[in-house]
Amino acid sequence: MLDGRVVLVTGGDRPLGAGLAKGLQEAGARVALVDGDLADRDGAVRAVAAAVAEVGRPHALVHAAIEPAGLEVMPLVDVDDARWWAVWEVTMRTSLWLCQAVHAHLTGNDGRVVFLTPTLSMSGAPGLAALAAAVEGQRLLAKSAARQWGADGITVNCVAPSPELLGLAAGEMALSAPALGRVGDPEADLGPIVAFLCSAGSRYLTGATLSADGGVWMAP
Amino acid sequence: MTKPLEGRVAVVTGAGQGVGRGIALALAGAGAAVVVAARRAETGEPVAAEIRARGVPAICIETDVANGDAVRAMVARTVAELGRLDVLVHNAIKAPSPHRVESVGIEQWEELSEVTVWGSLYCARAAYPHLKASGHGRLIMLTSPAGIEGSAGLPLYGPVKAAQRAMAKSLAREWGPDGITVNCIGPVAVTPALDKAFAENAELRGRIEARTPLRRLGDPERDIGGVAVFLASDAAGYVTGQTIICDGGSFTGL
Repeated sequence: MLDGRVVLVTGGDRPLGAGLAKGLQEAGARVALVDGDLADRDGAVRAVAAAVAEVGRPHALVHAAIEPAGLEVMPLVDVDDARWWAVWEVTMRTSLWLCQAVHAHLTGNDGRVVFLTPTLSMSGAPGLAALAAAVEGQRLLAKSAARQWGADGITVNCVAPSPELLGLAAGEMALSAPALGRVGDPEADLGPIVAFLCSAGSRYLTGATLSADGGVWMAP
Repeated sequence: MTKPLEGRVAVVTGAGQGVGRGIALALAGAGAAVVVAARRAETGEPVAAEIRARGVPAICIETDVANGDAVRAMVARTVAELGRLDVLVHNAIKAPSPHRVESVGIEQWEELSEVTVWGSLYCARAAYPHLKASGHGRLIMLTSPAGIEGSAGLPLYGPVKAAQRAMAKSLAREWGPDGITVNCIGPVAVTPALDKAFAENAELRGRIEARTPLRRLGDPERDIGGVAVFLASDAAGYVTGQTIICDGGSFTGL
């Protein structure tokens, strides 16, 4: 599905990003991991340039990195400014600078951007307000970018895995059990979905969020 | 008949003009004592005076919502002077100017993030113990359809308004056991900012009205304020984590 296509992947140091990178390779893509201080604009530009030097001009960016600080459950009144910064600002700045760093490569190149945005931002999550805000911010950055970059032939979409995939308990979000009976495997279950969104065949799909959680979050 | 918010105390940020002023007037009309939290006393004080002239207690507290210490001090003074805090409406925004995702600079991001998102954090954190003590605490944040469907002209406005919706859903779950509701309103109403745009573009108003099912723009006090009064009142005590779009029916994506 991705033969001849080059995909950059973030978050390769954790199971989600690592699994997706493998899944995308299995689908035929040349994959390079992007890492570094991505919350810094120059850092993101350098990290993308290093990945491009490794695998060539990318067709797609898969942004699967999720701030580890955001996964710690904590009442909002105990979230100090430093922690809010580490989750909200770092998540949003990283996403924005990555978009800026890949835009020229993707323009006129059948470009694709995919953000991994766990469903907790759509359901809301007690003790995780900072992460929920950050993920919903990413989801809307994707929609806004989709609106602006359509003219550049770039699609921007989101894939929403289960919060359980990140090790979070889903009970407090009042989520039902997955219709398909399991949480999902990054490589085997999410890989093909993300591969589709990176492929030529998804060219008319943009600004969307696909819930890839085995059938929990079905809104809308 | 007693008014629905008799005996309650409400704070409205960005209440010196536009939608915030309309909400402040409407809450006062429903019986609440109101704190007009405005960045500048020159705009906030006349609104507080207007409310007092209607026979309802009101004070203006000059507040920069992008400053956590200032928000904490504003909430402390509210409780010191008016005795309690039942309703906090975070409405203040820094109006964005058009930009592109691929080239927007950090300054534009910071302006949007600080007032809208950090402001929400500061308001929520400072208000929480008082909303809990209230027994019918209400946190209301003003969002936008752009926070649901994105924006081609103001791309970063979408994420900051969306963040407030995710916060509302999360805090609704987190604070539900304390009897606090957390909701959002997505308004479209005639404001000084929109009036300025109409002055620059004669056809804009007609174009917006023509595509609005109710064929008119919202009135800050009657239309947006009415929804705020409902959410603040006991009638909405079982509504939480929700967004009410109040735009004459244009956006139907929820």
